[in-house]
Amino acid sequence: MKRYLSHPFWQGAIVIVVSYVAFEWVIGYVLPVIGVASAPVPSSVILQYMLTVLVGIVLYMSADEARWKSFKKPIHETMVASDRKTLRGILMVALPVLIGWLAYQNVRPSYAAPATLRSVHPAPPNQLTFRGETIELTGLENPLHEEGSIEEHLAVGKRIYVRNCVPCHGDLLDGQGHYAPAFNPVPADFTSSGNLPQLTESYVFWRIVKGGPGLPREGTPWDSAMPAWETILEQDEIWATILYLYDQTGFTPRTWEEEGEGGHE
Amino acid sequence: MMALRRRAFGLVAPGGLAILAVLAIAAVSAAPPLAAQEDAVAAGKVVYDRWCAECHGETGQGDGSAAASMLPRPRDFTQALYQIRTTGSGQLPTDADIRFAIENGLPGTTMPGWPNLSDGEIDDLIVYLKSFSRFFAQGPAPEPLDFGSDPGGGPAAIEAGAAAYLTMLCEECHGLSGRGDGTSAPTLEDWRGLPIRAADLTEAWVLNGGSSVEDMHTRMLTGLDGTPMPSAIDAMNSGVVSPDEVWQLAHYLASMGPREMPPLREVIRVGRAEGGLPADGGEEAWAGVEAFYFPMSGQVVQLPRNFAPTVDGLWVQGLHDGTDMALRVQWNDPSNSPDSNWDEWQDKITAALDLDGAEPIALDSAGAPTVRPPDAVLLQFPFEPPEGTDRPYFLMGDAREPVYLWTWDSEAGVGAGRGRGLDSVEPLAEDPVTGEATWEEGRWTLYLRRPIEIESDGLDFAEGTPMPIAFQAWDGSSAEVGKRSSVSTWYYILLEPPASSTVVVTPLLAMLLTGAFGLVLVRRAQDRRRDG
Repeated sequence: MKRYLSHPFWQGAIVIVVSYVAFEWVIGYVLPVIGVASAPVPSSVILQYMLTVLVGIVLYMSADEARWKSFKKPIHETMVASDRKTLRGILMVALPVLIGWLAYQNVRPSYAAPATLRSVHPAPPNQLTFRGETIELTGLENPLHEEGSIEEHLAVGKRIYVRNCVPCHGDLLDGQGHYAPAFNPVPADFTSSGNLPQLTESYVFWRIVKGGPGLPREGTPWDSAMPAWETILEQDEIWATILYLYDQTGFTPRTWEEEGEGGHE
Repeated sequence: MMALRRRAFGLVAPGGLAILAVLAIAAVSAAPPLAAQEDAVAAGKVVYDRWCAECHGETGQGDGSAAASMLPRPRDFTQALYQIRTTGSGQLPTDADIRFAIENGLPGTTMPGWPNLSDGEIDDLIVYLKSFSRFFAQGPAPEPLDFGSDPGGGPAAIEAGAAAYLTMLCEECHGLSGRGDGTSAPTLEDWRGLPIRAADLTEAWVLNGGSSVEDMHTRMLTGLDGTPMPSAIDAMNSGVVSPDEVWQLAHYLASMGPREMPPLREVIRVGRAEGGLPADGGEEAWAGVEAFYFPMSGQVVQLPRNFAPTVDGLWVQGLHDGTDMALRVQWNDPSNSPDSNWDEWQDKITAALDLDGAEPIALDSAGAPTVRPPDAVLLQFPFEPPEGTDRPYFLMGDAREPVYLWTWDSEAGVGAGRGRGLDSVEPLAEDPVTGEATWEEGRWTLYLRRPIEIESDGLDFAEGTPMPIAFQAWDGSSAEVGKRSSVSTWYYILLEPPASSTVVVTPLLAMLLTGAFGLVLVRRAQDRRRDG
């Protein structure tokens, strides 16, 4: 075992295997299990990563004359040594078969849906029109912080949410409402740290007011089932719903000061 | 407790501190029931007000602000009528029963499971829910029924269960095939007098009380209190069925359809037909053709919305022969609308549901609907296969980009149209799509046929190129017209291309080249060693 670990050729082979396992399975399937937000890596990206790893290995091995020699030795031995005839024969068949199989994977008819790249939080506009009224979004704060009782606003927000939003976004605000399985893309999960805490209240206001039809192209507006709520709700009802979303999930919105430093993703 | 405390004081002098300590412990352990009960009620109220009250109402009467858009309505806890129990008909549920409903939710309704609540929170919540009704405080804690043991499943048990299904008159409400289309189905009401569906037993994943054989058996023995679903115990006691037959019936019910919602696949694969396309939607011609399931939601995007749709999904199959394509679309709908047996149902649904202030169907001077609408379904495509991922708006397009529609309804039959939004459809007479639909035991089967490419301007399919497709459906007997429909988002339909030689040639070529390259490499290395 130790002999293998210290040999450059086997080191290279182990790095390749470990990298492939990491790209193919750890990123896509192990990380989500331990609670890190992640998704499977597309095969074209894995191919790029693996080529990079391969080039890296070759560069590292060839940087030192002695290391390069011992790295090449097993390969060369396999090609010429008479006591490796069997292994040579097996490889001469196995490698072409592997290449042929990869080629087949590329040309076989595919029944997968065309890949869509969708920006989940596209950049917001500077202003929007609410039933004809122009509202500046930049620097916009939730006006309900300054007026009336917060308890009453939260009660209104809850009533609006449960009546209108629950079918898709769910009672638990987790995007798992009873209609959620019928929608693609799936409804937003407000309990995810990737949504509400990353956004200003004005951003959430824009998304609610304009919904799917108001998304820019990169947000695939034709797919989103999110209604343009300006057709159904009043401005104060939307602001109250935003208060409820943050209150019920325990998140705090981004502020415009943070926004100035970081900018939007 | 007062007596205990008084006695404790009396004993202080002679007995000393040790006795006082013992009695103090005794007093504390005797006290908890009441004090802890009050604490639990208070803690349960906090959980209830935060998560439950908006539907079930602050006073537990099932009349929260969102209740009117829900059918079935949220539970009224003051009635202590619980559907999902392990206790006998008319009895209170056990704490474990209430916990089961909170943890798992009631599939097929708006009640979700609550994995966000801790065990302790659910304990407190149960105490609080029970405090809404005085019945729980009276009498002893309810005991679960003895459910016996399952004699086992298998084909013979399922066959015996099918016989018991008829003996027990299940088909009167649930229908011969279990799709909730029995002759009594249109008349069913819950304890409030609101219309209630006979469960569609072929979609076990939306059964309120769970989908396993044990779940079905439990529901049959306990009945679903507050609904027309009776307990089977009377039938067992009077010898109509044996306990084993009820278990066999449970096995039969579990065999009526998939237990889980079928997995969603985004692309409908339309295979090449060997020996001609099916001439109709008949079972023989379509047996063995892969079927794709698509869940559907109520149209809740534009007013007036549909919060309680009838059609919750449909199945699609397709075949083509290079010239023509044939599609079969199937969906469950207990009524073949318009059907006068369901008129009363339509009126009750209209009265029971909050329809966003809109009247979906005009009423005559006597207050009766002027229309008994048909059932309908439509398939929606873009006019051209999209470049990139750009598509029309999923709700029948918009003014900017229209959609191409194949439409069917139970009165006008099959046609085609151009949609520019949910309420804007104009017919496309030149589209040659033809077809027919049949309704049998609670299920529509729509057969469509059309050339893949057409002479006039219009929708052309290209083999091997995925074409976006989306669906809508209406149940006329549930007052579903116009925007009150069931909808899906975009999926794809793909016509299988003819077998291509590249699929064979390219891999072979790659193998040959690699093999040759390898040989040359090895030969050169060996030559060099010999020379060196």
